[in-house]
Amino acid sequence: MLEVKELSVAYGDVRALWDVSLEVEEGSIVALVGANGAGKTTLLKAISGLLRPTSGRIVFEGEDLAQLNTKHRVDRGIVMVPEGRRLFQTLTVLENLRLGAYLPKARAVYDDSLERVFTLFPVLKDRMNGKAGLMSGGEQQMLAIGRAVMARPRLVMIDEASLGLSPILTRTIFDLIVALNQQDTTVLLVEQNIHMALKICNKAYVMKTGHMVLSGTGEELLANEDVRKAYVGERGSRL
Amino acid sequence: MGSLVQILVNGILLGSMYGIAAIGLSLIFGTMRIIFLAQGTMIVFFAYLTYWSFEKAGIDPYLSLFTVIPLAFVVGLGLFYLLFRKAAALEDKNVSLLLAVGLMYLIDNLILKIWGATPRGVNLSYSGAVLVIGDIRVPWLRFALLGLALASALVVYLFLKRTRVGTAVRAASEDMEATTLQGINSVWVCAISFAIGIALAGVAGVGMATVYSFDYQFGFIFAIKALVALALGGIGNVFGALAGGLLLGIIENLAAYYIGIAWIEVASYGVFMLVLIFLPQGLFGRRGLVKKV
Ligand SMILES: Nc1ncnc2c1ncn2[C@@H]1O[C@H](COP(=O)(O)OP(=O)(O)OP(=O)(O)O)[C@@H](O)[C@H]1O
Ligand SMILES: [Mg+2]
Repeated sequence: MLEVKELSVAYGDVRALWDVSLEVEEGSIVALVGANGAGKTTLLKAISGLLRPTSGRIVFEGEDLAQLNTKHRVDRGIVMVPEGRRLFQTLTVLENLRLGAYLPKARAVYDDSLERVFTLFPVLKDRMNGKAGLMSGGEQQMLAIGRAVMARPRLVMIDEASLGLSPILTRTIFDLIVALNQQDTTVLLVEQNIHMALKICNKAYVMKTGHMVLSGTGEELLANEDVRKAYVGERGSRL
Repeated sequence: MGSLVQILVNGILLGSMYGIAAIGLSLIFGTMRIIFLAQGTMIVFFAYLTYWSFEKAGIDPYLSLFTVIPLAFVVGLGLFYLLFRKAAALEDKNVSLLLAVGLMYLIDNLILKIWGATPRGVNLSYSGAVLVIGDIRVPWLRFALLGLALASALVVYLFLKRTRVGTAVRAASEDMEATTLQGINSVWVCAISFAIGIALAGVAGVGMATVYSFDYQFGFIFAIKALVALALGGIGNVFGALAGGLLLGIIENLAAYYIGIAWIEVASYGVFMLVLIFLPQGLFGRRGLVKKV
């Protein structure tokens, strides 16, 4: 479904990605892991069109995305849940969701999407008219994902969904991501919580200082000695 | 007592103009993150157009609202795409700010070239009409300014709260990148809010033409007054900006009455400094001109 081929991205003169390749199959969950500053967010931003690559190609369902801006990519179904949620804090929960379904295609099925979101995240329904910024961290993360669901994504890219959440909430969010995936949404997941990410994914990639260094199934990487030592750690989860 | 009420009423009516201008500044600041210093000059420019269509074609200023507002909106779109589109995308906002300053002087001098340096004003047949309530006397035209200001604030408020594009404008004022990620064309959103800001300059220009005499240098002073009003009202709140304008008008009138006409400017800039130092969020705004640290 998505193919990233030897992609390089730079911030001004500083290169952040070096010939990075990655493939996401339709219907799968792909995890992207790596230490701080490895370039995970940079890669997602390049895929969603916020950053222009210096070389390489991004192909989505057979179409080269080079000429398409973010709006067109969202319209094709590539939707990103950014790092730090980036909700519109002073807007209500409902307004945030409405903005998620801004484009005509998504707007046409707005009612249906809203029902879907409220089924996935019932708490959002109760908070519908409250300001997004006043919700708890977990609720805000649900809203961030809900807002993406409103866009009817074919591929949703979630950057650090569990950041700052308690272990229980992290579980909840992961369960919801799996549920979302079962409803025909392909997921590209960037995670610090590597143990959990590797457990739910079909395939995983490891990045290090701007390079793609390893890939395999979740089990393979969990069994990999280097990955265990470098990322999974003694207590089995955090970096 | 009567005179104090009269001062308050005069202040509110003077402040209406500041209020309209401040709402425009607030909208433009929200998405483009610059203080649009050319706002006052745009107001004067539209005041001249109103004056001109009155002199040449005898069109009543209030009638010309119907042409000036759409015209100003289109001028706003044009200016945005011609001048600010690239600069607005830059991290460094100084480019946009300098462009605004350049635009201000350019239009000042354009006005000077076209209409000369003599102050102008519209002399309406009904400009002497006065509303008398007890011992309060209010010229109808000034009263109409308050109406214009309230209507402007209400329309902008409804646009921001009730329409899709308006919601996108509020979103973009908070987080431009996240807005883009929703598939929203953030350049268009900036263009729209800029154009509405200029349309408000059109409204204020018509208002100015009916009660003030103005010349080509009046714009900058007016932009600064609108800025003071905005600092008072705080950003991110339409009625806050309007209230800031009204308050500034009242302060100026109080200063003129109790200290002396010559102190008007000292009072308003003094208040400006005090607000920036002690109330950087403004009196009613969620956010001030200065970011809270
Ligand atoms: N806006 C920017 N300007 C310049 N350099 C940047 C910018 N954003 C990121 N970088 C650099 O690019 C590299 C990759 O950053 P990126 O944010 O993609 O990493 P990441 O894997 O998402 O890290 P984290 O786990 O901390 O979120 C880092 O060296 C970072 O310093
Ligand atoms: Mg990151």
